[in-house]
This record gives sequence, structure tokens and C-alpha cells, in this order.
Amino acid sequence: MRVPLSWLREYVDFDLSADELADLFSLRSQEVDGIERFGVLEGEVVVGEVVEFGPHPNADRLNVAKVDLGGQVVQIVAGAPNPYPGARIPVVRPGSVLAGGRKLKKAKLRGMESNGMMMSERELGISAEHSGILLLDDSYEVGRPLSDYFPVGETVLELDINPNRPDLWGMIGVARELAAILATQFRVPEPSFEPAGEPTGVYALRVEAPNLCPRYDLRRVSGGRPGAKAPLEMRRRIHAAGMRPVNAIVDATNYVMLETGQPIHAFDAEKVRGGIVVRRAHPGEKMTMLDGHTRSLDEEMLVIADEERGLVVAGVMGAETAEVGDETTDVLVEVATFVGRNIMETSQRLALRTDASGRFERGLDPNMVDFAMNRVTDLIAEATGGQPAPDTLSHYPEPVGPWQVPLRLSRAERLLGMPVGEADASERLRGLGCGVEPGDGKLSVTVPTFRRDLTREADLIEEVGRLIGLENVPESLPRAPQAGGLTPEQRKLRTLRRLLADLGLHEAVTYPFGPDRWTRALGLGEDGGVPLALRNPLSAEASNLRRSLMPGLLDAAARNRSFGARGGALFEVGHVFEPRHQPEGMREYALRYRMRGEVGLDAEVLPELLMGVGETNKVAGLLAGTVRAAGWNVPPKPAGFFEAKGIVERLVPGATFEPRREPFLHPGRAAAVLVDGEEAGWVGEVHPETADGFGLDGWPVAAFELDLAFADPDPEPRFRPFVNVPSVSMDLAVVVDGDVRVGEMLVEISSLGSPILAETRVFDVYEGSQVPEGKKSVALNFTFQAEETLTDEAVKGELDRISARLRDAFGAEVRRG
Amino acid sequence: MSVVERIEKLKSEALSALEEAGTTKDLESVRVRYLGRSADLTEIKKSIRDLPADDRKAVGGASNRATKAIEAALTERLAEVAIAEREEKLRAEAVDVTLPGVPYPKGSLHPSLRIIDEVVDFFVGLGYRVAEGPEVETDYYNFTALNIPPGHPARGMQDTFFLDDGLVLRTHTSPVQIRTMLGEEPPVYVVCPGRTYRRDSDPTHTPMFNQIEGLAVDRGLTLGHLKGTLAAMARYVFGEDVRLRLRPSYFQFTEPSVEMDVSCFVCGGSDPNCKVCKGAGWIEMGGAGMVDPAVLSEVGYDHEEYTGFAFGFGPDRMAMVRYGIPDLRLFFEGDLRFLQQF
Ligand SMILES: [Zn+2]
Repeated sequence: MRVPLSWLREYVDFDLSADELADLFSLRSQEVDGIERFGVLEGEVVVGEVVEFGPHPNADRLNVAKVDLGGQVVQIVAGAPNPYPGARIPVVRPGSVLAGGRKLKKAKLRGMESNGMMMSERELGISAEHSGILLLDDSYEVGRPLSDYFPVGETVLELDINPNRPDLWGMIGVARELAAILATQFRVPEPSFEPAGEPTGVYALRVEAPNLCPRYDLRRVSGGRPGAKAPLEMRRRIHAAGMRPVNAIVDATNYVMLETGQPIHAFDAEKVRGGIVVRRAHPGEKMTMLDGHTRSLDEEMLVIADEERGLVVAGVMGAETAEVGDETTDVLVEVATFVGRNIMETSQRLALRTDASGRFERGLDPNMVDFAMNRVTDLIAEATGGQPAPDTLSHYPEPVGPWQVPLRLSRAERLLGMPVGEADASERLRGLGCGVEPGDGKLSVTVPTFRRDLTREADLIEEVGRLIGLENVPESLPRAPQAGGLTPEQRKLRTLRRLLADLGLHEAVTYPFGPDRWTRALGLGEDGGVPLALRNPLSAEASNLRRSLMPGLLDAAARNRSFGARGGALFEVGHVFEPRHQPEGMREYALRYRMRGEVGLDAEVLPELLMGVGETNKVAGLLAGTVRAAGWNVPPKPAGFFEAKGIVERLVPGATFEPRREPFLHPGRAAAVLVDGEEAGWVGEVHPETADGFGLDGWPVAAFELDLAFADPDPEPRFRPFVNVPSVSMDLAVVVDGDVRVGEMLVEISSLGSPILAETRVFDVYEGSQVPEGKKSVALNFTFQAEETLTDEAVKGELDRISARLRDAFGAEVRRG
Repeated sequence: MSVVERIEKLKSEALSALEEAGTTKDLESVRVRYLGRSADLTEIKKSIRDLPADDRKAVGGASNRATKAIEAALTERLAEVAIAEREEKLRAEAVDVTLPGVPYPKGSLHPSLRIIDEVVDFFVGLGYRVAEGPEVETDYYNFTALNIPPGHPARGMQDTFFLDDGLVLRTHTSPVQIRTMLGEEPPVYVVCPGRTYRRDSDPTHTPMFNQIEGLAVDRGLTLGHLKGTLAAMARYVFGEDVRLRLRPSYFQFTEPSVEMDVSCFVCGGSDPNCKVCKGAGWIEMGGAGMVDPAVLSEVGYDHEEYTGFAFGFGPDRMAMVRYGIPDLRLFFEGDLRFLQQF
């Protein structure tokens, strides 16, 4: 809502600068988004009369005028050609400051002196008109300051009105609010006119859809002068408030809308056939609207029609059919209240928002209609010379009256945490237009119908609190009667993220929606089902919910590569989303759960099933390209299976790994991560084809993804006793077939249950010229430990037992030398 | 030359040879030459018993003294040379200390999550717990239970992403508050951090952003408690000097509703060209209010007995002002040039 301050001053007196007013309004009522200034900010504009006007001797496009400013004739060079000798025009004098901060100086233009400037409507802030100098009529006295007639500069506050305050969409409401803040009075104009026009009653009014239209009033203003223009000050205000002046009738309707918040429509009475019908649109009805677009309507939309044709989509926009124009002399004025939600839905479905629909959709006060009707018919009559009818057709079957809300002062104090005095609270509420009956620590508050947001005690407490001032609320800390803290899972997640960062990975937060490519590239498209999709994505590139954190990280890696990175390590913790197939017949229950929170089935049914979505928290890491660049003393570290696996081993100590094929992973370098036999996730090198698809061609890419529930980065320690006897370290190298898995060898060794074997370490795996084709050498180091010093025989005996077991299980031959 | 004279000569030769020897190795060869098995002095000692008895005493005495003197000198020289040699060795071992150390890996934590961790820690200290919930939410939890029934204009302002009928990507973390209250009896003190989604994309809005909300429901909670809590949080995150101010606002699920501003922790309002507060002196932090009685009723709490407050703010924005990040979009691109700064 744009609030021109000169207009506001018509209703309420205040002694504040624009900045002070903005601050105060922000702290007591609504946020002020900005302050705009236009017209002449400082200095003098006077009414002048052109004495001479002719072309500039040295410039084709300029003119030179001699202007009488009331006893003083000055020369002014102008671009506009429209002044003529005898014309009265506004002249701004040198030294004045124009909008934008420009200071006007005496100047010489192509050799001719110019003492000031003749002004267009735009330069005065009256309208956007800038094609010529504003020509004033003879009622403007030569030599007088123009500000005696209307403000030549304007300051506009831009208010950001909260949706619960439709009353503030009009200047009177803003004035009332400011008066309440300042604890002062405000005044509203009182319409008065001679109701001597042609009767409205010759037209019929029929409301066929009363539940979409609580009130509809119609009054005729006849005998107006065709083509009348609204008074300059009215046009100036409409322009300052952000609308476009049109003609006297339309301007009056807009002016009263800006004043009261009540949108108003005017029909050319001569074009209305029979009368006004308020009805739902017919199936298939089309209407060509004022913006030139033809729209298809449906039966949920309310139409204002005559007996033959639809004229207006109620509360939104009219058709050309019965609009007022320059030829109009006889007007039917509509002031009505529609159901806000219906207007909102209509406006959404037509993708058409107007100043009117924006006001109607908040739900307007039907009792505003009387004042608005009197005011607008008065203004139309005044501007056009017409006369309002003595009668008004009105549909208002269920008049709304004010309502009572009790307010306990003790409750107000308990909610606000500051003292609230009875007299103070009463005065504040009266300032807002409420009636207040105090008594017994309680106020009986009568709420006016324009404050539909005030229905409960808490609503009133808010009003009292903000008007007293929130800065008066003292700060204090509550004492929570519980020990705060993180759950073990939350602590675990903290440790895990810190650990990953310390291992050199960078934490990313990526969007959980992406293109089809995300699904296809992971090979999930064929048998993996359809991902959950957004109905209204910002683009097709961001429509599918992720089923894995991987695609987002791959995209990020590709982005980094495109900016010159030679690799890097990223991780992310986030939710992934799996569709859950709902069994037959569950749909209805699902919708009830989703819309009303009702489970409706026995408690066995998981909300997950009613949601149709399985959401799990995962952690994923991606190592791409050169994870760590070479240093002068360390070799570079490229991404690879074992780099990723090493991280997984830190996140899930005790996990086991078995080969696993996934369409997006290297078939020979991928493993399932198992915890106590349960699948916790996977680790592997990304399939080169997948990497290609994400623009990572030629780079080694390794990754892992784990269900967060399995991660245990810092398991609870458990003390194991040890003895102060030296341990013995022994190496053993065996040759086995190339496809024997070392992990299985280690399992076999540990299954021996050796009482003295404390640790086994793989320190070399070798394939090549030293061992036969198809074989590999595996070098193991054992640490033996017992409670007494071990003899050579004891150690050798155990080593032999291990060798024998490996020979039996894998055909391992001990390698000598 | 008498034998004794020869001994004296050998001794002084040996002593000066020791003096000249500069390395452990040289000293060893001096020792071999003068004290070794075939050294002259050793030979003389071996021949003593063949000498006339009169000479034996004199020669024996002289050779023993000579041996002792040489040995003493040798020990002394060995020690001296060892020190010199160690020093030389250490000198040779000097490195260029300006070369970089072994590069241990260094990763980073996301700036928004750093802020969330910090805010969570603050509230945990006040006795809060952390509640979490799904990002795909039902219409009921995301709107209706929060006093935003179907058709309410406030729904239109939320730029919601829709999925299947009745499902949305949560537009705020408020549904977690509802889930918490439905699952627990008061008193309730929780904070709810998480990702939220709105269909909005421009330099200051991303379709995903982080939020952290808090909820306290107990007997006797007031707007003053809300104000005190938020002010303490602001001081914890932005420094001891910042002040908090509340402005009236409107949310469906709180009444009264407020916006909270924090005084600029950079300029304190004194710099009209301040980049952080744009000269306003205040930084908008988020919304808050006393939990609407309708919301308390919806979850089965007695709103006469219990009151509560709720608040919500954007850790992304907080990170922007704390760390001086100019553009919200940077947060969600996974760009290493950005991430590795945190
Ligand atoms: Zn600042």
C-alpha cells in the first residue's frame, strides 16, 4: 500500500518527518518497505503566464519563452512546444531541488539565458505525462505559489500490509491506525450531495449466487458531462498512490478504493440491458476483458452480468461491454462484498491479479459499502456535474454487526510479560475503533466490523501490546524444567560430520530435486521405479526428488571441474526419498491422513505408507579426480576404491564388505557395506559411463553412500586387559590363486581362534614376475602375544598352523626367501 | 738415546698427534699407532723384563706414565671431537623450515550447518532438545494444524512445492513443532533445524533454504521470555554488544506475532554505508510470537493453563552476515572454492 503523506495529512495531524513516521509505523504496526519522494522536494513553484513564446534562435528543438511571474518577467528556455502566449503554466525557480536530488540552476542554453523551468505533470509528480508543459486554467492566479493549490512535492510510504489487515488497504484505515499509535484523533470526509438524479430502480438487481456475494449495492448517477476529467489533485493522489488516472468516473472509483480499501465498479448505464444479475459463470462462458485477453470461465467463478451478457468477473476485472468511457453520462455504481476465498481462487485460476482482487480476497467489511457508495457517487457527481439517484438497490440479506470479545487484563499481562493498565488498554482499543466497557479486571470489547481479524482475546492482547510498544516488554529467560541435550543419534551425526571434515572432505548441501538424468544416469530408471516428482517444479531440470545423494554430488564435482579444480572430496548428509507403493484401497485413508491428520486405520499402518514416501537420512561421500595434490614431500592422491573404503571403515568400524554390482558402479570395484549382515550402504568406484554422463569423463571417481542409522564413527570404547610381556612380530608370505579374496583369508585365520594371535595386518599384495602367472603373493604380518614370554617353538607352531589352514582353504603355498 | 728418553719422545709425539687429529677416525689411528699391540711403546713395555733390573723400574715407570698421559689425552680429545662431529652432523641436517609441512587433510563444514550447530548448542544449554521431521510433509502438518486451513490466503504466500495429493515439501520447519506437541505433554522446549523449500528463485531466494525454529510451551511463558531468549541467542551468535528489537508482525500460528531485528554487530548503526545492515542499523533475523491458542488446542494442550512461544530464523542469512557472504545461491552449489573457506 502506497501512502502519500500529503493525503494522509488530510485525515490525521502528525508532527513527524517521513523517516520518523516510517520507524514508528514499523515498530507499532506494519513494516515500511521504503520511502519514495517525487515532484519538487525543496524550493518554489509559481504560477506563471506566458507572454512571448517562440523558437530558439540557435537550436531547432528548443523554444524560448518570456514568462510573467506576477510583476517579474523572466526568460525560460524550454523543449516542449505546447505553451503559447496567454497560457498559465507552473514555473520552478532556480535553486529548487527536484526529485532525484537534482538542484536547478540558472543556465545558458545555446546562448540564451534560462531562469527556471516550466514543468510537465510528471515533473510535478501529478502523473506520468511528460509530452508537454502542464497548462493551468484561469483559476490559478499568476504569481501565486502553486502549492497553494496542490502539493508540488510528495513523499510516499510503501507499507507492507499483513494479510490479516485489509482495513489498511485504504487511506482512512491507515489514518485510523496512525491516530491510534499517536493517541490522537483522525477525521474522515463527509459526503453530501443532492439525490436528484434519475432513479436507480428502473434497473433490476438480482443476486442469484448469494453465498458468493454477501452484499451488493447499486446506485445510479445520471446527467453527467461526457468526457469529464477528475480534479487535478485527485489525479495527483491517484498517481502518487501508484495507479493511473483515466477519466472522472473511473478515477472517482479508484480514489474511493484507495481511500477506503473498498473496490468499486462503474457501468455505463446506457449499455446495461435490463438490469444487473450477480450469478455464477455459465459452463463454457467466455469473456473478453479490459486487458484484451479472452478468458474461459467456470461455474465456480462469480460474474456480474446484465440480462443478456456477462459484464465483469466479480471482483477481478471487467469486459469492454459496459465500461464507462468518454461518452458516458449515466453511470451505475457497484459497491459490493464478495467471498474472499472465491475471489482468490478465481484470480488464481485466471492468473489475473488486480488492485481490486487483491483487496477482495482478504475479505472485506460489508458495512464499508454505505460510506464508499456515498463517497464515490458524491465525487462522480462533483466531477461530472451529474446527480446521484435518490434510491439505492441493495442486496444485504444478513447484515453483519459488531461482536463482543472479553479481555482479561491479567491474561494480557501473563501473555505479554508486562503490566497492562485498564485505562491504558481501554484507550488503545478505543483508538482502533473498538467499544470498551471496563469492569472487574476485565474489558468487554466491541469490535467494529472492519476489524474481522479481532475475534479472540489473544487478538486483542496483540493490539494492546504493540500499541504500548514491544520495546517496553522486559527481557527474561525461562527456566526449562528439563535437561537439554542431543540424542545419541544427533551426537553421532555431529561426530561423523566433524570426522569427515577432518579426513579432508568438504560438506556440501545440494538441492534434493533434479532432472530425469539423475535417475537415468544412476541406472535406476528401468527397474528402480519412478521417482517422486514435484507437480510444480521451477523447471523440468528440478522436478524429481533424489533417491540418492550421489547425483547432486556428481553435479557439484563436475561444476568444480569446469572451474578448474583437479579434483576434490565432498560429502553431504541429507534426506533421500523413495516412493512407497500403497496397497489397494488405502488412498482414501491416505488422503484423510494427509489433509486432516487422521490415521483412521489401526495403529499398525505406518504413516510412511499413508504418506507414500519413504524418507531416510543418508551420508554420502564423493572423491573425484586428484583428491589431494602432490606436495614436495608427498605423492598426489587420486580417487580410488580403497580411498573411499578407508573412509567407510572409519564411519562404520567392524563393517564387512562383499562384491556388489550396481548399474552406476564399476563392476569389479564396488562393494556392499554390511553391518551384522545388514546392508548399510555401498562403496565403490563410479562406472566410467556414469562419470561421463555427469561430465567427469577421464577422472577416477570413487564414492560411498550409507544409511545414517548404521554409521558409528566413535563407538563406545571397551577396555581389554594387556600384559607387560613383549609381543613377537612375524611375517608370512603365501602364494594363492589370483581370485582368492584376502578378506576371506583373514576370516579363515581369525576362525582358527589362536590364543596368542593379537593382530593380523596385510602389508603387501603382489602380482607379477616374481610369482607364477595367475597367482598372487599375499604378505601378512602377525603380532603374537601371550601372558608369558613366547618361545620360538610356540610362535613357529602357530605360524605353521596358520599356513596349514591357508593351504587347506585356499591352496596357499608359503613363499620362502 | 736412552729408553726413557725414547719413551718421552714417543709420548710427546703421541700427544701432538692427538692434538692434530680432528676426527674420531684419526684419533683411532693415533691410538693404534701409539698404544696398539705393535706400537713402539707396547714393544718397550713387552721388553722391560729383558732389561737390567736397575733400568726396569725407571723404564716401567716412564712407560706407564706415558701410556696414562696418552690415554687421558685421547679420552679428552675423543670427547671434544665427538661434540664437534655431532655439531657438524646437525649442521648438515638443517632443513628449509619455510617449506610446507606434510599436508594432513583439511575438509570443512558447511557454513549454514556451522551456524545451526552453534545455535543448537546455545539452546541445548538452556535446556532445549532437538526435534527433527520429514521434508516431504502432509498438507495437515504443514498448514492446517498451524491454523492455515485450506483456502486460507496465507497459503498462497508460501510458494509451496506440491507432490502427490495432500503432500508438499515443507515450507517451514513448523510442522516439526506440531509433531512434537502431538507426541509429548508440556512442558516442551525444542529447537527444530532443517531444510525447507519454497518455489522461489532470485538472487536473494533459493528454492531450498535452512531454517531453525524453536518452541517452548510451559506454564507462565510470556512474550518477555521470548524476547529474553532471542536476545540471549543473538548475543551468543553475534557478540555481547548486540541488541534485539521486536516489531509487530503476522503469522497464522502465533498471536501476538513479531519480527525480530538484531542491531548491526558490525557498525552498530553508525555507518550509513555499512554492507551488513545497508545502513539501517538493524538486521532482520526472523519471525516469532506467542503460540496461537488455536494451535495449542489443535494438539490437545489446554491454552488456558499453558502458554508458549515459537520463533524461526534463517541460518543461511545468519551465515551471510556473520561470514560476509554476498549471495545466498553460493550455499547450495557444492562449489569447493566456497566450501573450503569454512
Ligand atoms: Zn551496519
